[in-house]
Amino acid sequence: MLSEKDKIFYFSLLPPALTTLGLLALIVSTIGAKAALVLPQALAILAANVWDPENERYGLLAPVLGTLVVASIAGAVSLVLGLPLTLAVAELLRGRLGSVLQTLLEMASAFPTVVIGLWSARYLAPFLSENVMKPLYSSFGFIPTFSCRPLGGYSLLTAGLAIGFSVVPYTASIMIESYRLIPSTYREACYGIGATRYETARIHVSLARPAIAGSVLLGVARAMGETTIAAMTVGNAMNISACLFEPSYTVPALIAAQFGNANLYRYAEPVLYLAALVVLALALALSAVGFKLVSGWRVRIVG
Amino acid sequence: MRRLEDRLFVAAVVLGSALALAPLAHALAVTLYNGLSTMASAGLGFFVNPPPTPYSASLGGVAPALVGSLLLLALALPPSALLGLLLAVFTNEFPGSRAAALVEVGARAFASVPTVILSMVAYSLIVVPTRRYSALAGAFALTAASLPYSYTAFSSALRMVPEMYREAAYSIGMSRWATVWEVIVPIARRGIASGVLMTLARTLGETAALLFAVGALRYVVPLNPLGPVDALPLLIFDYALSPYKLFHEVAWGAAALLLIVSLVLFALSKAVVKGVRL
Repeated sequence: MLSEKDKIFYFSLLPPALTTLGLLALIVSTIGAKAALVLPQALAILAANVWDPENERYGLLAPVLGTLVVASIAGAVSLVLGLPLTLAVAELLRGRLGSVLQTLLEMASAFPTVVIGLWSARYLAPFLSENVMKPLYSSFGFIPTFSCRPLGGYSLLTAGLAIGFSVVPYTASIMIESYRLIPSTYREACYGIGATRYETARIHVSLARPAIAGSVLLGVARAMGETTIAAMTVGNAMNISACLFEPSYTVPALIAAQFGNANLYRYAEPVLYLAALVVLALALALSAVGFKLVSGWRVRIVG
Repeated sequence: MRRLEDRLFVAAVVLGSALALAPLAHALAVTLYNGLSTMASAGLGFFVNPPPTPYSASLGGVAPALVGSLLLLALALPPSALLGLLLAVFTNEFPGSRAAALVEVGARAFASVPTVILSMVAYSLIVVPTRRYSALAGAFALTAASLPYSYTAFSSALRMVPEMYREAAYSIGMSRWATVWEVIVPIARRGIASGVLMTLARTLGETAALLFAVGALRYVVPLNPLGPVDALPLLIFDYALSPYKLFHEVAWGAAALLLIVSLVLFALSKAVVKGVRL
């Protein structure tokens, strides 16, 4: 199909085009090779909860669980706050005001995470501790997730909410882009039978459900790897607790705190590479599912 | 009843949107407030002095981190932009091919690699063999971190070019090569420039990719790309976690500087596509 000249063009662009795949392979193989030393004990390390480099004893259970909890909270935040933003931009304000709001969202996604981290550590953490955690603890302390006295505010909850706030613009932008692809015939049909804006939005949201779920998964994948905000808010403690108000760890926060000095010990580095491998695998898997949901839905709704 | 339901719905959407924007608006406001008051008391020295020691009498500045950030961007952005453009041209020219599908999948997967992992890779592939932290290692991690941004921005810029230009170019006998580089890319130049600015804004604030690569040379203005450097986001990160009040003030100042530059770059990237002449 391609002419002789086009073929030359195709093959001259092929090597640079495949660099992303090459880089990806390089990343996975580097991390894998560096973790190889401890791979035979991987399950034991993942199931243990200890960080004692002096005695070469390591376990990753707390950071792995912490990562899952923080990423789930962030995912919930990005759904609960992303959906209203989507409806505001794509359903209620389909004029100038809507595009202003969308520009604000894009602007928010250009905020450096370290600035959000600094703000979370100085303002969000004390605010949540005084106004959310203490009241919840004193009124609903019998529920395990609220059952500990909050100290200072550095906790799983703070990290989850802070990362959630930073992920919302990203999740919402994918939701908005998808929502706009719903053919206008649906909207016309809704208004034609006299549906209110609420009823129209309900029908649109239920149509877009796979795309919304996919956007949230993409947000969760991103939240999982978020390092800066997590390290500044999660409290950095090897601690497993059902209570969301206690300080804990996430894998990226553990890496940020420990990798710098890990070369002083024999096994600390390989264990941290193993931790990175776990998060990498989770993030790649979640985002693959998320992309599949969103792009599959987009093809169906337009087609 | 239905009207009430509709009102409640609108109220919920407005409330939810406000709740989503409020934290970021508050972060913006307090960062500017705290940071600008740091800059005001440090004066112009904030841009030319090294940072203070914990018990210094004066605030000092962030010159080494500022120069380090610029050096890192100068090293990381050209390869990221060039590769991003080649990738975007490839997927735009051969959309049905198997290789293009692979490139798409690769770019998506790449975008979801946590940037702290890129830093670990830069550490083990560059820092350990060369036995030193360097701007080069940081630039490698930053290039990788920013590639998904530049690729996405450039491919949407190329897709915006109407198909009729391609047809016109073919009809006067131009080859595909010439069509791409002499017609399509020049027509998309505003979108491409905008993408470069956006990538710059995002890369400037990247922290985690630099953690184990650049070595945070905090008190000396770096000039050697093969030696250690500091960067604004790293300085903010370290100083925010330190126990010293003076360091916190410097962190706020640096955060405001970083935020202002990011927002200006964002505004420029928007202005470029709209064709506003500045």
